[in-house]
Amino acid sequence: MTRTAAARIALLAVAVALWPYAVQAQTTVDAATAAFRDDVHAAAGLTCASCHKGGATGQARYDALPRPSIAPMCATCHSDAAYMRRFAPQVRIDQYSQYLTSTHGKRMAAGEGRVATCIDCHGTHGVFRVRDSRSPVAPANVATTCGRCHGDPARMKPFGRVDNPPADWAGSVHAAALLKRGDTSAPTCSSCHGSHGATPPGVTDVVNVCAQCHVREAQLFRASPKKEIFDALGQAECLACHSNHRIESPSDMLVGLQKGAVCAECHDETGESGATIRTQRDDLDRLSAGLASADAVLTRAERAGMLVDEGRAALRDAREHQVQSRVLVHAFAAQPFGETAAQGIMSARRAQEDGDAAMRELQVRRRGLAVATLVILAFLLTLWLKIQRLPLSPQDSTRA
Amino acid sequence: MSGRLRGWLEDRLPLADVVDALRHKTVPHHRYSIWYYFGGMTLFLFGIQVGTGALLLLYYRPSAAEAYESVQFIVGRVPFGWLIRSIHAWSANLMVASAFAHLFSVLFLHAYRPPRDLTWMSGMVLLLLTLAFGFTGYLLPWNEVSFFATRVGTDIAATVPGIGEFIVRFMRGGKDVTGATLTRLFGFHVAILPAIATMLVGLHLMLVQRHGMSTPPSVERRAAEDPRMVRTIPFLPHFLLRDLFAWTIVLALLAGLSTFYPWELGLKADPFAPAPAGIRPEWYFLWAFQTLKYVPPTVAGINGELLAVAVMGGAAACALLLPLFAGHSHGSRRIVVWIGTGALAFMALMTWLSLRGGRP
Repeated sequence: MTRTAAARIALLAVAVALWPYAVQAQTTVDAATAAFRDDVHAAAGLTCASCHKGGATGQARYDALPRPSIAPMCATCHSDAAYMRRFAPQVRIDQYSQYLTSTHGKRMAAGEGRVATCIDCHGTHGVFRVRDSRSPVAPANVATTCGRCHGDPARMKPFGRVDNPPADWAGSVHAAALLKRGDTSAPTCSSCHGSHGATPPGVTDVVNVCAQCHVREAQLFRASPKKEIFDALGQAECLACHSNHRIESPSDMLVGLQKGAVCAECHDETGESGATIRTQRDDLDRLSAGLASADAVLTRAERAGMLVDEGRAALRDAREHQVQSRVLVHAFAAQPFGETAAQGIMSARRAQEDGDAAMRELQVRRRGLAVATLVILAFLLTLWLKIQRLPLSPQDSTRA
Repeated sequence: MSGRLRGWLEDRLPLADVVDALRHKTVPHHRYSIWYYFGGMTLFLFGIQVGTGALLLLYYRPSAAEAYESVQFIVGRVPFGWLIRSIHAWSANLMVASAFAHLFSVLFLHAYRPPRDLTWMSGMVLLLLTLAFGFTGYLLPWNEVSFFATRVGTDIAATVPGIGEFIVRFMRGGKDVTGATLTRLFGFHVAILPAIATMLVGLHLMLVQRHGMSTPPSVERRAAEDPRMVRTIPFLPHFLLRDLFAWTIVLALLAGLSTFYPWELGLKADPFAPAPAGIRPEWYFLWAFQTLKYVPPTVAGINGELLAVAVMGGAAACALLLPLFAGHSHGSRRIVVWIGTGALAFMALMTWLSLRGGRP
């Protein structure tokens, strides 16, 4: 074997040995290139070299960026108002400064590379606008994106974090609104925790978070004696009764002194508070029962073809008062809850009366019809007898 | 007193002549006689329409802002208002059904033959007027279903080349269905159509009186063989009492339908709301509505909807002028029966497909 032949064989062996790596490198680059075609940055005219810069040499290198350098790199554009204005005049530029205040940002700054940075939520080479349903941070996808880490016990354990919030949220009334009804205004992880500045709200801040949507409830709570007591006890305001992530649809069963009612966790039958709670629960029950009964009679009347518009209007009014009463429970006082619930009960009674009147009217109509039918039948019978008695005188003629 | 009044009237009006003519008027009496009663039944229902319509007019207000509320008031507050409105709506539907039954019975019994050709034509125009009454009255409660059905119905006219847009604007009183459409259709429903219909009913009755009831050809043949086989009965009181018997049954049916199935009012029309699912016209337009669904967008380069409307219009024109070109031979009559049966079967099938929600 000549030296040249040996060199060729050695070269071939090295090529064969390196082939998988070469293929992998090619595949990774291809995948990144393919994903980047749809990327919002590509649409804005950016290229691979816009992010993959070769440090001091300025030469593009396509190695993965070190994780701690990703957020600062994104911020070079996204924190530059003059630059960003070219693409979207009203785009925000505070993401990076918010990120630095977040738990993620603080840990990353401390050298913990496992915490989330920009690409973990937005994607790497296939970044879409938030309002694009393909984006991992589109409202319907946020919980899944957060859940990739926060629902993974292996990732959460080293940080001493629980891994159940995403699963809990998935069973909540908020998740049902967002994912089943498609209501994109329903809260997901980032709505309460923030997105770039994500951090758990403090105990006394919870009411402010919930108040973003539940304005009236928060107002009533803040003005109620409970606020001071909860703060003193270190109770997490809204969460004390409604829980945090698995917030279920509230029902009247939450109010009361029976088993399962949240009031019963602190209160009992004694004292003024016990009486108030019992009265409120009784009023809520009477209102619900009145609504159900009125709705049933109005539905029966409507099915029979009766017009019960006024009853329906009264029922709508009663429902409105029921909603208001349930909200007014958050004032933790006998009034104005009692007055509103009483108005609701009265409206439900009016609806019931309208339905009952319609059913009575229906009976009157049917009795009237029965009498009319008898008269008509008697007339028909008389006519029939008269016709039968008429002589059918045959006439020998036809008319053409 | 009554004798003096009669005498006073007879001095001034030819009442005795009329009564005498009716006493001497006879009507053929044979196994197909039952079909004679549908004409009188349609007239009776027309009378109910006029009576109940006049009562509804006392409270109805023809504007987009008040129409729905006024009907709501009639149904909910006016004593027996619910009954009057339901009878008006139900009798309108029964009148259409009765008019169609009358048309097809006249067709199948070949009563369109001369000298009754003009009677047939006036009857055909009356049927079209009845449908026009239905169309113009449908929108008057200004509810959701009638609003969108009127929009769809008037849209069909837009397919007519050249004058389509004009017809739509004429029917709607503007570009879209609005309060102006309601006022316009109300005018047609309570003034223009009744005036024309009353004149035509008068003409139709006069022609029936002039030529008498037609005897079917098969009965005529038997009469030719043995005149004693075919009998006639006096119009007064024999036929009139039978008519009265039929009318009373219709009255009982109307009372039952109005009590057990009061005509629904529905929700108030909201021109800015999206059209609700399942919008369709009254049952007697369903066959045409369903046919249009099956027609492809273009047929041999022609707008499919236009073609279908043209074919239906042509068929209506042929039906109107049937006595002018229908032959009098047995074979010609058989062809008429087959075409009539085909048309009836087609209309029934399309109506059934539409009712079960059939889609092409």
